[in-house]
Amino acid sequence: MSYSDLRDADAAVTDDSPPPARPRWRLSMSRRYALTAYLFLLPAFAFFGLMFYGPIINIFGNSLRTGPQADTFTGLDNYIQAFQDQAVQNSFIITLIFGAGTTIGAIVIGLGLALLVDQPLRGRVVFRAALLVPYLTSVAIVGLLWRNILDPQLGILNRVLDSLGLPTQAWLNTHPLATIIGVTLWMNVGYTMVLFLAGLQGIPEVYYEAAIIDGASPRQRFWRITLPLLAPTTLFVSVMMVITGLQAFAQAYIITGGGPGNSTDLFVFHLFNVAFTARDFGYASALSFLLLIVIVAFTMVQLRIGRRGEVQY
Amino acid sequence: MATQQPTRRQLLRWTGAGALAGVAGSFATSCGAGAPDDETTADAADSGGDDGTFTIYWNAGHAYEAYEEVIKEFEEEHGLTVNFQKYQWDDMRTRLLSDFAAGNVPDLVEDAGWAQEFAISGDALSLQPYIDEDGAEMGFPDDWQPTTIDRNSYEGEVYGIQLHLTCVLPFYNKAMFDAAGLEPPETWDDLLEVAKELTGDDVHGIALNQDASYAWSWMLQNGVRYYDPETEELMTPRDAAVEALQFQADLVHKHKVAPVPTPGTDYSGPQKLLSAERAAMILSGPWDLLPIRETSPDLELGIAPALRREKQAAVQAGTSVFIPAQASHPDLAWDLIKRLTALDVEEQATDEAGMLMPRVSWAESSAVQDNDQYSVFAKAFPYAVDYKEDLRLTGKSGEIDELFDTLYQDVVMNNTPADDALDAFLSEAEQVLAD
Repeated sequence: MSYSDLRDADAAVTDDSPPPARPRWRLSMSRRYALTAYLFLLPAFAFFGLMFYGPIINIFGNSLRTGPQADTFTGLDNYIQAFQDQAVQNSFIITLIFGAGTTIGAIVIGLGLALLVDQPLRGRVVFRAALLVPYLTSVAIVGLLWRNILDPQLGILNRVLDSLGLPTQAWLNTHPLATIIGVTLWMNVGYTMVLFLAGLQGIPEVYYEAAIIDGASPRQRFWRITLPLLAPTTLFVSVMMVITGLQAFAQAYIITGGGPGNSTDLFVFHLFNVAFTARDFGYASALSFLLLIVIVAFTMVQLRIGRRGEVQY
Repeated sequence: MATQQPTRRQLLRWTGAGALAGVAGSFATSCGAGAPDDETTADAADSGGDDGTFTIYWNAGHAYEAYEEVIKEFEEEHGLTVNFQKYQWDDMRTRLLSDFAAGNVPDLVEDAGWAQEFAISGDALSLQPYIDEDGAEMGFPDDWQPTTIDRNSYEGEVYGIQLHLTCVLPFYNKAMFDAAGLEPPETWDDLLEVAKELTGDDVHGIALNQDASYAWSWMLQNGVRYYDPETEELMTPRDAAVEALQFQADLVHKHKVAPVPTPGTDYSGPQKLLSAERAAMILSGPWDLLPIRETSPDLELGIAPALRREKQAAVQAGTSVFIPAQASHPDLAWDLIKRLTALDVEEQATDEAGMLMPRVSWAESSAVQDNDQYSVFAKAFPYAVDYKEDLRLTGKSGEIDELFDTLYQDVVMNNTPADDALDAFLSEAEQVLAD
């Protein structure tokens, strides 16, 4: 029996007989539909509630406490401390630079690679697959791999440079932040390439054909057709990359240990050390909660700006 | 045959029942993680549980066959299943702190000098009642090196038993020294001279570690104390601390006899350089004996006594074992501690992996005294210092160590003048102590 049958049956009861005394608990049809929808959504709500919202509430509760067991109530002291803490400010700035570098790099390089592999080149399927492999590899493995490659004394990269007569570099000492941005891009551009490739293949050919007839140059076609019509993909990529950039941890944990000095002390790595080295779970929770607010704010701003720029031909 | 369509009411009932089951199931699972006495939960086997499973956290590099055999015997005698979990130190600490917070702890832990810290926080069990009963029989504390007792004690009670005792000494490539007609250095001046002689042809005279704890060899030799509980001052005397830090930076940046240490979490960099014959000398401990032997069996390794400046000193290191306060099987854990620290087991572990042990009778045994490498370490134990002992008792050593890491990297890797970097360290570290 379908919903329309049910509706008809209800209507028939209403039309053919005097209206029976309706039990008080009985819900109207629209409310019953709503209830049905909510019941179907309940498993998802339960999952998110237990796995995400519950822990967030728990972290907020912990952020109002201090001590090794986070059991002494201190109100907003942890938040006040966070705004005055030089190390936190330094870590936040480093993370913003890291997030900006990895986001812009992933968009520019990912789009460039997508344009390249969208051409009818020989072996492009292999090329696409090869570019995606780093993204499918665990970040821990990528970190260890690059640590070994970049080792100034025993790493393969300096050996290659040396054999070519070029000066060797202490990559992780002289430009540590740029180096971990580079490693992150190496890992992520395959993924953004796939996203941009899907976007490119969704643009109807007729626009390009019309533009060619009108005498548009390849550059004009890129700026006037490709880029505007890729706006939804670009928005998605930028939102995802900003979120993963602000949440980056393993690059500092595995490759640099946050150093030298504090030059790669990414925010999540910093709060990890606050929790597990200094053993201040309350303060670490406050930092986590502040990061959540920053990420939500960035995402909302990006979505607002991005949707304004969407184009339909 | 026509399939009967479920009615909307049925769909509603099933969805509701499914959702409730899901919620209840998830809730029960999440609660079960903290219920060690539930024999049916998988998590009980994953960590300490009262279900015939006995959980041990151990350093991944210390899972010697000698210990595996002891654990096997222990398992058979008590009819238990031992869950022997191995971790790198950082990962073990993360896991352990999470376990303390969740109330679901292992039965026995090998620790990297955390027993005092966890005694202060109430997470470690006092072993004093066990020691009062069994100490004389197992030779504790009389047969343990005296310096290992204080570092595992808090307010007059023992919380950890030293398992390994090590110290940091100069390791050198004998062939390189012999070829250059050089003797191992005894003082800082000797070291600089020797390092200059040996540097060249893609070889550095010495390789410093990226791990800041190795810097304390130089600090101790220059008479620096990390924390003075009487004056409540850090890094005293200050001038000596500046000099020791600057000396290390100068080896790298001024004299160029050492490569710039690479930041990271791996402390095996200098060992790899020594093994690859790219460094003539490093500072290290017995943990590098096995990797050097395995990767470079032809390398003639020499181990020299610690250098002297103001005095001869070496960084004391090593591991202990402790029982978490909430452990399910503390009596069994104590029984296992006694077995693991028995002299014959210590000797087997030394024989197998070259690890050094805390028993006085081990240091005095002919197997140690007749061995060129072990005997140098055994002779260094009396002047080896646990530089963090006083600081640990403040409960702030974690935060201050992090600041010291930054100080060391700023000076030795970034070549920031030691004087300026130390001022920055002191201002932040004093604030941490005051909070």
